Amino acid sequence: MAQSDEEEDYMTMTIEEPANRETNMQRIARKRREAQERAYIKPKAEREAEEEAAREASLLTPLPSTNKGFKMMAKMGFKQGDALGKSENARTEPIKVNVKEDKSGIGLESERKRKIREQFEKAERDLKRSKAEDLDYREAQRQQMREKKMESDLYRAQKTTERLDEKDLGGKDPSEIRLKSINLLWRGRERYRREKIRERKDDQQLRNSILARQPTYEDDDEDKDYQTALGREELVTTIDDDLEEEDQEFEEFEALPIIERLEKVLMFLREKHHYCYWCGHQYPNAEMEGCPGLTDDEHD
Amino acid sequence: MTVKRADYDSDDDSSRAKRVKVEANGNGNGGVKMEPSSNPYLAHWNDEPKKNPDNSADRLYSFKRHGTNAKQAQAAEDGPLNPFTGKTLSKNYMGILKKRRDLPVHQQRDEFLKLYQESQILVFVGETGSGKTTQIPQFVLYDDLPHLNSKMVACTQPRRVAAMSVAQRVAEEMDVSLGEEVGYSIRFEDKTGPSTMLKYMTDGMLLREAMHDHDLTRYSTIILDEAHERTLATDILMGLLKEVVLRRKDLKLIIMSATLDATKFQKYFHDAPLLAVPGRTHPVEIFYTPAPERDYVEAALRTVLQIHSSEGEGDILLFLTGEEEIEDACRKINLEAQELIRDGLAGPLQVYPLYGTLPPAQQQKIFNPAPPPATPGGRPGRKCIVSTNIAETSLTIDGIVFVVDPGFSKQKVYNPRIRVESLLVSPISKASAQQRAGRAGRTRPGKCFRLYTEVAFKKELIEQTYPEVLRSNLASTVLELKKLGIDDLVHFDLMDPPAPETLMRALEELNYLACLDDEGDLTQLGKLASEFPLDPALAVMLIVSPEFYCSNEILSLTALLSVPQIFVRPANNRKRADEMKDLFAHPDGDHLTMLNVYHAFKSDSAQENPKQWCHDHFLSVRALQQADNVRLQLKRIMERNELELMSTPFENKKYYENIRRALVAGFFMQVAKRDGNGKTYVTVKDEQNVLLHPSTVLAQESEWVVYNEFVLTTKNYIRTVTGVKPEWLLDIAPNYYDIDGFKKGEIKNALQRTMTKVLRKEAETKGRR
Repeated sequence: MAQSDEEEDYMTMTIEEPANRETNMQRIARKRREAQERAYIKPKAEREAEEEAAREASLLTPLPSTNKGFKMMAKMGFKQGDALGKSENARTEPIKVNVKEDKSGIGLESERKRKIREQFEKAERDLKRSKAEDLDYREAQRQQMREKKMESDLYRAQKTTERLDEKDLGGKDPSEIRLKSINLLWRGRERYRREKIRERKDDQQLRNSILARQPTYEDDDEDKDYQTALGREELVTTIDDDLEEEDQEFEEFEALPIIERLEKVLMFLREKHHYCYWCGHQYPNAEMEGCPGLTDDEHD
Repeated sequence: MTVKRADYDSDDDSSRAKRVKVEANGNGNGGVKMEPSSNPYLAHWNDEPKKNPDNSADRLYSFKRHGTNAKQAQAAEDGPLNPFTGKTLSKNYMGILKKRRDLPVHQQRDEFLKLYQESQILVFVGETGSGKTTQIPQFVLYDDLPHLNSKMVACTQPRRVAAMSVAQRVAEEMDVSLGEEVGYSIRFEDKTGPSTMLKYMTDGMLLREAMHDHDLTRYSTIILDEAHERTLATDILMGLLKEVVLRRKDLKLIIMSATLDATKFQKYFHDAPLLAVPGRTHPVEIFYTPAPERDYVEAALRTVLQIHSSEGEGDILLFLTGEEEIEDACRKINLEAQELIRDGLAGPLQVYPLYGTLPPAQQQKIFNPAPPPATPGGRPGRKCIVSTNIAETSLTIDGIVFVVDPGFSKQKVYNPRIRVESLLVSPISKASAQQRAGRAGRTRPGKCFRLYTEVAFKKELIEQTYPEVLRSNLASTVLELKKLGIDDLVHFDLMDPPAPETLMRALEELNYLACLDDEGDLTQLGKLASEFPLDPALAVMLIVSPEFYCSNEILSLTALLSVPQIFVRPANNRKRADEMKDLFAHPDGDHLTMLNVYHAFKSDSAQENPKQWCHDHFLSVRALQQADNVRLQLKRIMERNELELMSTPFENKKYYENIRRALVAGFFMQVAKRDGNGKTYVTVKDEQNVLLHPSTVLAQESEWVVYNEFVLTTKNYIRTVTGVKPEWLLDIAPNYYDIDGFKKGEIKNALQRTMTKVLRKEAETKGRR
């Protein structure tokens, strides 16, 4: 043992605060707990998930510029963000590593994998957000409540708008109309319904085709109905195409802050249908006599 | 991380000496360049051709270099004497010549010559079956006349086997013996001679030659064949030659590709002219599945059996990903087919596996003819080949009419962020899928069954397979480039530059290995390491091994790590195979176990009948013999560089410890520490959770291990592991194990504890003194 040359100085030695010292019982408990933690062998599934999460996390983290190789490259004139070589559009990111976990064919992307990636990205986003938001917790809560209320108000106001607009459609079912000609203010509702329908149909088609695996390849002699029944022939409808179509107007609307969207819907209700959302009443004329005002606060 | 593309240079100096010899005794019409008329001793040579005007060699002599045409060349080819050797042409020659003139490239010989003569760089596109690999180099010979200038024509191939077999074929076509006028040079084997004028070689070999001869002065024309495969060596060569052609205006360069994507090559080589020759292929009808498959292997088997029972005559080629999958599929197809045959629903079916590690004799079987119908006039018999993607480009099997393509292959991937180079099952590219389909149209119109939807083909498959340079650890490439005199690696003009992080990692690794200094310049150790056709970690381990008194053993180990798996573990006899392996097991790990195997293999009793001995002990005689060969090659390089070969006496208790320490000297960046008391390990610095590969002999109590390979599958495995002590890590690689550079955590704590222990011990011994 290396011994210090000096005698220990008892006079100036600080005596540890007894309060900080753990009692015998506490120590035994701590030791036991630690031993348990060490001895705990994680279940296979947990271990594998951890393994994969660690791998995905590392794969998403670029090498830092403190890397020795970076310094050498800097001497050759490399700057962060540059690509190598002389050609244009050279890559700056390494090729993604995808570990195939099963025998699924091309096109059946493994759901689990995508989820892990999404979770990781979400965790990272949340972390960033919690750092950025230095707001008082209660203020944040209140803000959240306000947003929630606005969301439900918007939902209900849109529903009302659709109901009132329906009269103008002249009895036509909204699902028969081209999406783009539907009132922007409640187009999202119709879109959502159509997406649901399509999802269900896709699911059924997939199931059908799995059932109809033998024989796999199309036979021209088979009659058309039979093929349709086996899910080989896609039932193409205009609605599907409609959904695929780009709808810039709608996207722009959806991108607005919720408060603006709500305002637009409420104003539309007042002007077109003489309806006040807060009163919950449709007035006979544009004067809207009896309505105390435009905002929620004015209706107590 | 295993050894990569190790192309052993077969003693450069001696082959250069051979070239000198050509000029001295200049056989035939060679050596005329040195103006023999001025040399009185050679006067007899001078007039020899003139005395014999019928000698066709004379005709070649009168050829104007880079001024000939197809007619002249054909007249010379017609004989009666061999234009290159002056010997009488064999009967066989004429038969082959007739067939050669039927090849599609032959139609465009004049067009080719014109472009070849006009430009320094030429891009040539010829689909499989056009005859480009065998014919173009010969077209060049008749115009470039390399033998009259003591130069050679080089034609590179991505694969060893191709270099060998094509050279053999061309030697036959030219009616010369292999190794004379036509030769080949591949890792471990140099079959060329003083009269060689056409040399087929692996691209890696040419790259290694460039390390000693930056301008490749011994060649007058260089042909890069199969450039579309974009191997690492081909890509580096292209970058290099792009610079060489500026310095050497007399050097001609031909880039040959089998795909129409050749415009990319054209663009890269400053809009070089392009010549395309159509292949000889038949239309192939393509079928897609209506929905994605749940299990591509099962779908593949179903499809094969369906083809067999319902389609007309023609053989089947099924693409799967690896040995195990292929063997399993073969078994299942056989079983099911027998049932079909018994029920009279199909004719006989012969199933053959095909993959790289299959012994050559078994690979050869795929060329057997399909079985005949069971009864005359009965349902047709056929063969079914289940192959990895080696049947995609490198092997041509006639008779294939049906191709089944599940859309996957095993591809090497490298990611610098987790430093893993691994073979992973990945979706193929569109280009690959087209190539696979094309295999069905070699003999007659065929069908290709893609086991994915047309939408998936369009949306999920990438256009081109990523070139190897984007999927590899570049540590050894960087070392090679440094040796090639390329200092600005950042701006080296590669066709597809990799991500900057890949270069970053390579430089960092080489710096830790002390092959590059902090400025990025080659150190003495780095220069030495570049002499070895090995991964830098292996090279460094070998070079420093004399310091650990075990260079003999490390030399053997390096050789063993450079060859395919030496242990054989057949599916039907795993238990026995494992028992046999246990005979050699060393408790400290797999590296030492491999060494035990090698020593046993070299014993007199084993050498009496190595084949039988290996068979009895479940070892691969091919791999072990190959290791022996590699060892010899490496030993020569060591001797040339005056690296001492020595061993610690076996009785010394440090015998194995020294070997393990030397292992650390090369592989200190591939270390893992056990996590708690569990089974898992965590890799140092990268902090990946890993398991020991089930094949290991290492006992569980090893706290720290070095590993040779990080295998990515559904689980992360480290393979070929040996236990080491943390003290060694701190002692042998202090730069890498600088504790301050570690993240907080168990590994840092453990290293800290070790450091304290070491310091205490040191102080103690000092105190005692």
